[in-house]
Amino acid sequence: MSYLAPETLEQALSALADPGPMRLVAGGTDVFPALGDRPLRGGLIDLTRVAEMKGIAARDGGWRIGGAVTWREILKTDLPPCFDGLKAAAREVGSVQIQAAGTLAGNLCNASPAADGIPALLALDAEVELASRDGTRRLPLADFVTGVRQTALRPGEILSALHIPVQPEGARSSFLKLGSRRYLVISIVMVSAVLWCRDGRIAGARIAVGAASPVARRLPALEAALTGLAPEALGAVTTPDHLAPLQPIGDVRGSADYRRAAVAELCDRALRKALHG
Amino acid sequence: MNTHSDMQAGQDTALPGPTTSKTRLVVNGTERVLEVDNRTTLLDALREHLRLTGTKKGCDHGQCGACTCFVNGQRVNSCLSLAVMHDGDEITTIEGLGTPEDMDPLQAAFVAHDGFQCGYCTPGQICSAKATLEELRAGIPSHVTKDLLANPPLSPEEIKERMSGNICRCGAYANILEAVLDVAEAR
Amino acid sequence: MDFNTAAETNIFDRPKILGKAVPRRDGPLKTTGRAPYAYERHDVAEGQLVGYPLGSAIAKGRILSMDTEAARAAPGVRAIVTTLDMEAMPVPSEMHTAHLFGGDKVEHYHQAIAVVVAETFEQARAATALIKVEYDADEGAEFDLLAAYEKMKDTPVDPEVSKGDFETAFANAAHRIDRTYVTTPQNHAQMEPQATVAAWDENGNVTLWTSNQMIQWAKKAVAKTFEMDVEKVRVDSPYVGGGFGNKLFIRSDVVLAALGAKAAGQPVKLAMPRPFVMNNTTHRAGTVQRIRIGTDAQGKIVALAHEGTSNTLPGGSGEDATNQSQHFYAADTLLIATRLAEMHLPEANAMRAPGEASGLMGLEMAMDEMAEELGMDPVQFRLVNDTDTSPATGKKFSDRNFARCLTEGAERFGWENRNTTPGSRREGDWLIGHGVAGAFRPSPATTSGARVRLQADGRIIVETDMTDIGTGSYTIIAQTVAEAMGMDIEDVEVRLGDSAFPVSSGSGGQFGAVSSTAGAYAACTALRREVARRIGHNDADGLSFARGNVTAGAKETPLVDIAPEGEIVAEDKVKFGSFRKDRMVATFAAHFVEVGVNAWTGEVRVRRMLGVCDAGRIMNPTTALSQVIGGMVMGVGAALSEEIAVDTAKGVFINHDLANYEVPVHADIPEQEVVFLDTLDPVSGPLKSKGVGELGLCGVAGAVANAVYNATGVRAREYPITLDKLLDGLPEV
Repeated sequence: MSYLAPETLEQALSALADPGPMRLVAGGTDVFPALGDRPLRGGLIDLTRVAEMKGIAARDGGWRIGGAVTWREILKTDLPPCFDGLKAAAREVGSVQIQAAGTLAGNLCNASPAADGIPALLALDAEVELASRDGTRRLPLADFVTGVRQTALRPGEILSALHIPVQPEGARSSFLKLGSRRYLVISIVMVSAVLWCRDGRIAGARIAVGAASPVARRLPALEAALTGLAPEALGAVTTPDHLAPLQPIGDVRGSADYRRAAVAELCDRALRKALHG
Repeated sequence: MNTHSDMQAGQDTALPGPTTSKTRLVVNGTERVLEVDNRTTLLDALREHLRLTGTKKGCDHGQCGACTCFVNGQRVNSCLSLAVMHDGDEITTIEGLGTPEDMDPLQAAFVAHDGFQCGYCTPGQICSAKATLEELRAGIPSHVTKDLLANPPLSPEEIKERMSGNICRCGAYANILEAVLDVAEAR
Repeated sequence: MDFNTAAETNIFDRPKILGKAVPRRDGPLKTTGRAPYAYERHDVAEGQLVGYPLGSAIAKGRILSMDTEAARAAPGVRAIVTTLDMEAMPVPSEMHTAHLFGGDKVEHYHQAIAVVVAETFEQARAATALIKVEYDADEGAEFDLLAAYEKMKDTPVDPEVSKGDFETAFANAAHRIDRTYVTTPQNHAQMEPQATVAAWDENGNVTLWTSNQMIQWAKKAVAKTFEMDVEKVRVDSPYVGGGFGNKLFIRSDVVLAALGAKAAGQPVKLAMPRPFVMNNTTHRAGTVQRIRIGTDAQGKIVALAHEGTSNTLPGGSGEDATNQSQHFYAADTLLIATRLAEMHLPEANAMRAPGEASGLMGLEMAMDEMAEELGMDPVQFRLVNDTDTSPATGKKFSDRNFARCLTEGAERFGWENRNTTPGSRREGDWLIGHGVAGAFRPSPATTSGARVRLQADGRIIVETDMTDIGTGSYTIIAQTVAEAMGMDIEDVEVRLGDSAFPVSSGSGGQFGAVSSTAGAYAACTALRREVARRIGHNDADGLSFARGNVTAGAKETPLVDIAPEGEIVAEDKVKFGSFRKDRMVATFAAHFVEVGVNAWTGEVRVRRMLGVCDAGRIMNPTTALSQVIGGMVMGVGAALSEEIAVDTAKGVFINHDLANYEVPVHADIPEQEVVFLDTLDPVSGPLKSKGVGELGLCGVAGAVANAVYNATGVRAREYPITLDKLLDGLPEV
């Protein structure tokens, strides 16, 4: 297996253009476990040294999160309350050891239905920046993850950064995840919420649910139903109709019906947590 | 040069570039230069090349924490990265924390509180315990931290949360907690 | 030493070091990463190559062909041995079911079918993936225990125990329940996967540095498998990274390393990759348990039936969930029956407390249900049915303090303040519940030998092939010898796990501590006799050994002066006489658990655990406590999360890693309190102690399950009790 550690995006893209099966790796926390007991093959391009993929920077009122940024860096960075949900997700990805190595971009590219990062980033309306030798394009995250382990990443492309747009003033957020043991959990369901208020009323909300469909989904009907509500009125607001975009499956971690019921409860809790901390 | 086979494609695909790399690691304060197979994990470089077998292989998939050691002061699962990715990095393993004759306070506390049984997860537990105390002192919040603005407390709940990436099948958790609390309070 | 009558007052009754909380002797090595486990023994053999295993991709059928050409040409490859290169090797022992290697027949998924030996791990792993295998899968194979149970449950079987007329007594009982419980297969999931370094010498002797609980069994099994003289086999296993039964017997790592080493002409080391462990090795079988209990109006059990069904490979023994039900509670009539559902899942075999761990998950939930049916306090119901005699055998228990476990536990736990109406106690979002369960586990003992070597400097080296799998053998054997010889424990060095040492009991069935310490005591008794002879006395019993001296009358001689010219070696073994079998020697416990169940999601959090244990003399409260809290952790896993998921179409254990097979983590475990009753059982052995290693697990899952019911009013009879099984029945919030 050949190994390349490019230091610029241009070097990385040119390495990726080489013939042969090249695999991209950053934290390695998904790449290596996914091998099971099979060997590494082909070539490996280590993205952790690529300068353009490092760091979190404020940009155009929003933020650019480099493609090699780890969960741990998110946790250590001073960010406004609208990032609390993402930070909460960061604290529940694997273990602290995993958080130190794993990257947000890797979590998106791995595209597991149970990816912890996707609901929080969907709720932040994140976009992905995809670099190739032909230039750079941007896609809404919702369009990037297309199925179980499937993304819109084209051959020769690298997810070089995430962009978080400017968030409404006073936006707050939360993230909740449910599993049968308390840690190292592969999620049964998870919910992230971002919401903001004006004049004592909820002015807007974004809610995304993971592990309850092949791809994490926003819940537009629930978001619409929340708008205009008084925060004090936030009890059990989530109804079965709101969950229409979801197609939960039954597996060893929980039945489909259980997931549906749990999502409703988790949505309500996530909203309360976003509002009241 | 090695040749590689892609089972799915059913044909051999030769790739450019060398299959081994010269990698410089500073391990427990000593510079070590290794010629490693690019596929060698940091864990296997420690265990097989340097014969530092205190760092354990429990799952090789980042699911148990037995391979926890420090890279540039931060705890990681050494099975989840390749040695070649750590060129120039400073690595601290359980062997670098203390010796049987001169144990680190955490190592001594694990013995005093019987924070282990079979001992296989123990080096990873101790590395994580050391990191846990450092992370708490640095004020890094965890999932169970209630007030994100204040420094997290040295509470059993915080310690258990932060230690949860290290599985102990012998079930020594309660004693491990006592050992960590003991050292936390002594500081 | 023959242990043929109950122990009388002896040196252990005025202990100076036995019974003390001596820190683990192996602690400094283990906590500093210096204790060498099997795969880490770089120093024992020069030129170690690395082996990598290949497992079958089908569960049942035949291998038609194996193409190793590409693998043989791969870089670094030194040898490949495939299962088609030989006839099936003999099954290693009567306690194994599946073949470990050889022949074209596949008996279960991931059965070992090849080993690739290369210069490095990376090369061996890469080359293994190049082997192409053609299978002829048997499509008709059965893999579904529940389906098999449905087919066989109405076919009568000969009962194992039939006492009185159960059917009539049950039909006429004032109160009765008839329930079925399910436990899923479980994996030992010890942290160290199986690993072996194998080396052959020019005379055909083989040495295996491995990770094994039972050295003598391993030695014999290697000889049988390789059809060689047992004296040509040496096994060494001084540190074992957990076993729990998964390392009771040799597994394919031993065979593959030895085959690879032979083929390569060089030592080979091989560790099982974690994803290989789950399907290649053994597991605790799943069970379906039908339990019927009938009582009189006062709650006295008049009829008890326990019928257990479990999965096994053809010819295996499955999981006997019924054993404790024969002995634990007074029952006027008994019906005990087992059924084996033969199927081609991986090999079911012993896991910590085989039988009782699963059986009590059923029985203790049934006891809780019966108590509720009676409107009785579940502690009281168990007390009413306490017995000093096994109802099945009519034999008396040598010492039984189960009632004390219950009453002292109830008081300490604050049982009187428990929630009495299921589903009625709330704290915020959490429903709070309390549960109790009893625990029973036999405490056998078996022949065990040791050698003690008094050195010229007065120190003693103890050698026995006993193992320390985290149980504390190094420490309690040192304590025993220090006590018997009147020495400082620092002057006793214990060497374990080498088949060159005297044969011991090994570690299993919670017989290890009782047997191996008695064996060490036997060797010390022989040494005391020799010391007596050296100082001119015939009667060793008349001597006193204390503070590093031997005293005869007024004459005190330091042990340092006994063997100035060299060492004195004494060896003996303990043999337990048949009188021990005239009694039931067993251990008991009561477990009390408080749980919180989230009223919205059904998440269960254990909040408090108490175990009160009756296990004879506690040789070291530190290591014994660790055994019990560890068992309690495993019990929480069994109750709430541990489940091997079976692909019932393909016969594959799907969740074959530590992410998907969920054992408890730190955050799952609350404060644990353990009380050891201060008891002595002179029938058990010369030290009057009994096992605790398995007792700590028994009953725990039942207590958790009963607490969950008490919290929610939802009785989930299929373990593990995951949140989805509770949600439908949770009380309205």
